[in-house]
Amino acid sequence: MLDILHPNISNNNKNNININLSEEKIKINIRGKNKEFFTKVGKILSIILPSESNTSSSNENYDVLWLSPDEWMIYFDENKNTNIFDQLYKDISSLNFGSITDVSSQLICINIKGENIFELLSSGSPFNFEKFKNNVGSSTQTIVNHIDVILHHKSKNNVNLFVRRSFSEHLYEWLVDSSNFV
Amino acid sequence: MFLINCPFCGERDQSEFSSGGEAHIVRPKQPTELSDDEWAEYLFMRKNIKGIQFERWNHVHGCRKWFNVVRDTSNDKILSVYKMGEKPPVNYK
Repeated sequence: MLDILHPNISNNNKNNININLSEEKIKINIRGKNKEFFTKVGKILSIILPSESNTSSSNENYDVLWLSPDEWMIYFDENKNTNIFDQLYKDISSLNFGSITDVSSQLICINIKGENIFELLSSGSPFNFEKFKNNVGSSTQTIVNHIDVILHHKSKNNVNLFVRRSFSEHLYEWLVDSSNFV
Repeated sequence: MFLINCPFCGERDQSEFSSGGEAHIVRPKQPTELSDDEWAEYLFMRKNIKGIQFERWNHVHGCRKWFNVVRDTSNDKILSVYKMGEKPPVNYK
């Protein structure tokens, strides 16, 4: 199984696609729909939650991905701010304005870089990447090689893929193997 | 295979969705007053017609939201998609 404590696994193949286990990231799932929820999140993160489907918001500290009309995922490097979960939980979850869940251990982040990454992902996914690849900041939830994933188009030809930990090794090996054939 | 226009995420492949069966089946208000036949009718009997059918679908590999679909089962053509709680379109019988 991919081990987040050993993030130096990487692969450079002949098609110049780089697939590596991303550095440690904190991932927080947030759910809510009332006014207080949006106010509190905006105040704590200094970011407006994306309301449009398949998009994301970013600032220098955080990336926030749209997951559904009342659900988002925040992720950031572990060394940025480790008590943000406590702040969100205290101001939102404990006051019943919404739900805050730390999913850092649940999800593994695999970073995929290179010119042909969308051909690689398309080879195992029913999702149409045409719009996604032309819009930096796009996010989506879909299936890759029959596995549920969350994708974030972080920068041009650079995608962060979030997958459940138990599927991560299989998906990683599939990505590495398939990248030789696109 | 066919495409379904999720009211939240947009057009996606059918493989991202899970069918939840016939839509707009109302749970009886007083189940204890029903006969066994009436209860079985509510619980098990579904139309499963060839033609236009109102169905529930869940975008299980996407936003995980439920919504309603009007589908022609004879050709898998999606005629209308609408959110839970919204009234079904009147132009389909």
